[in-house]
Amino acid sequence: MKSSRRSFLAGGLVLPAAGLAMPRTAGTPAIPSAAPVALDKLTYRILGKTGLKVTSVGFGCMITSDASVIARAADAGINWFDTARGYQSGNNERMVGAALKSKRQQIHISTKTGGKDKAEALAHLDTSLKELGTDYVDVWYLHGKQTAAQLTDDLLEAQQIAKKAGKIRFAGVSMHSGHSEVIPAAIQSGKIDVVLISYNFTMGKTLDELIGKAKAAGLGVVAMKVMAGGFRRSQDNAILKREGAMTAALRWVLKNPDIGTTIPSMTDMDQFEANFKCMPEKFSSEDDKTLTAHLERISPVYCRMCSLCAGTCRRGLPVSDLLRFVTYADGYGQFSLGRERFQELPDDVTAVRCGDCSSCTVACPHGVKVAERISRAQELFG
Amino acid sequence: MRLLTLFVAAATVGLAQAPDCGLLAGWVQQGPARTFAADNLFEYMDGNAEGYLLYHFVQMHGVNCQSGEDTLIVDVSEMENAEWAYGMFASNRDPRVPAAKIGTEAQIVPRRAILVKDKYFVEIASSKEQPDLLRQFVQAMAKGIPGSSELPEALAWFPQDKLVAGSVRLVPESVLGIGALKRGYIAEYPYGKAFLVRETSPASAAEVMNKLRSRIGGTTPVKIADEGFAATDKYLGRLCVFRKGRTIGGLTSLEAGADAVADTAKLADGVK
Repeated sequence: MKSSRRSFLAGGLVLPAAGLAMPRTAGTPAIPSAAPVALDKLTYRILGKTGLKVTSVGFGCMITSDASVIARAADAGINWFDTARGYQSGNNERMVGAALKSKRQQIHISTKTGGKDKAEALAHLDTSLKELGTDYVDVWYLHGKQTAAQLTDDLLEAQQIAKKAGKIRFAGVSMHSGHSEVIPAAIQSGKIDVVLISYNFTMGKTLDELIGKAKAAGLGVVAMKVMAGGFRRSQDNAILKREGAMTAALRWVLKNPDIGTTIPSMTDMDQFEANFKCMPEKFSSEDDKTLTAHLERISPVYCRMCSLCAGTCRRGLPVSDLLRFVTYADGYGQFSLGRERFQELPDDVTAVRCGDCSSCTVACPHGVKVAERISRAQELFG
Repeated sequence: MRLLTLFVAAATVGLAQAPDCGLLAGWVQQGPARTFAADNLFEYMDGNAEGYLLYHFVQMHGVNCQSGEDTLIVDVSEMENAEWAYGMFASNRDPRVPAAKIGTEAQIVPRRAILVKDKYFVEIASSKEQPDLLRQFVQAMAKGIPGSSELPEALAWFPQDKLVAGSVRLVPESVLGIGALKRGYIAEYPYGKAFLVRETSPASAAEVMNKLRSRIGGTTPVKIADEGFAATDKYLGRLCVFRKGRTIGGLTSLEAGADAVADTAKLADGVK
């Protein structure tokens, strides 16, 4: 269902050939060939068997709305830029291409396809190349795979065809979850060069062994969601942002030498400059304190959706759903949405009150105070 | 009147649930409806969810519709208000394809249609090229969506003369890539890129102007509205910025022949 939607949407962007001419955009900066600034702050790593020498901090372009930020980053020496066919319905690739056109030989571009089969994926690639204004991309990811089965022979073959045609240099796969299945499958396929994974301080060491295996197998590992992804915009993360801990979160990722590069999202120069400065900096004890304090703050409420609690409530409550509903109200200020979802549950679920149990059978391995949070949901919505 | 009320109420209730495949004869729902909110939209579209959250996404209801071998994937996103919904639409439309006046606006390409009306952003993806059917579906959906079909007020502030069609966008964060310009609109002209940012008060807008002067450097005062300056920046090109009350605006990337002050003053004139 998911890949189907993504591929549909991306497919829908394919316009008649007459419409594909790049429009003139007055806002597209012409990038002068002036020397990059602050080059001494750049640190490089080798991205696995690709042999690419990449800056340890790259640029996730997905939510960037002004090409000038991307252009400035390229001028500063950042050489890894990430986009996808589906971002902003294709508008993102067009902006990235326009911003980096004059720097193409100095930088690496990765993009992604959600194509459901070989033909569709290859059609996406051709559109991506047109929109990016380039003959090739450095890494072409199969977008958002969660299971080994989604790495189909058909899609892997599409990548090999694209490689032979010189349209891509390296094949990749991206994943937001399912790392324990997809990374081994990528290694075993022998056809994947780079994995793009979500990786941040909330995960602790849970992925380190897998990442090590990928590195040992020669795969380049790129980290995304380095600042805890979707949690970024919740109220708790506003606190994180104020305390400057976003850069601590980036340094936490960079301290893992098996990570080739990172792609934090950036919308403005202030964010870029803060992230840029992280490259040569060590993860400090102060960073550790900041992130530990943040984890302690969010752990009682932050559900990682790992589903380890499924089926453990003696009264049969859908624990992770209820935690999500209360987060709508408390984390996102969407009380009515939380109540709406709660009231959609069966009567025998909404009638349960945690206070009726003398003890709770649900123990969250990440420290969420489940009974307390679900009691809050029952109090708010029941 | 009572009938009308009932109809609107029904339409509103309908949006709190899944879109209706039966809007067009011969189409039926395939599989269960889906619903996502801000913290689990990632389950549906992975990283692309961040693009929705930027525009103050509240929730999404979606269905797959089937007619014979053809499939439509229909998703209705509710944003916090009509302005954010328009922003979402504008960031997802293809600026090279004209918009249609359906709902607030719509855009139909061979295998995809998007629509905005009030605080709702609709996406329809088709398994094959069928723009006529997509147009019919979008028209039917627009009728059922309650609320206003008016464009956001700020769009009327941009001079219409030589405005590049489809170029107006709501930038949700960091207009021009500058954090001090929190959110606002941009529009393109053959001679440069215009922007408008509304602050909470004239005082806070004046503070932002000071930050801009400091950030850009080498500014020269100009007489436009309450205050203004001109400058040249390596990335933003030749530019001219003004403040009018609590609104900051200006032109960047100005072409060599453009009259920076006169063109920027025209933009300032339109600001209410």
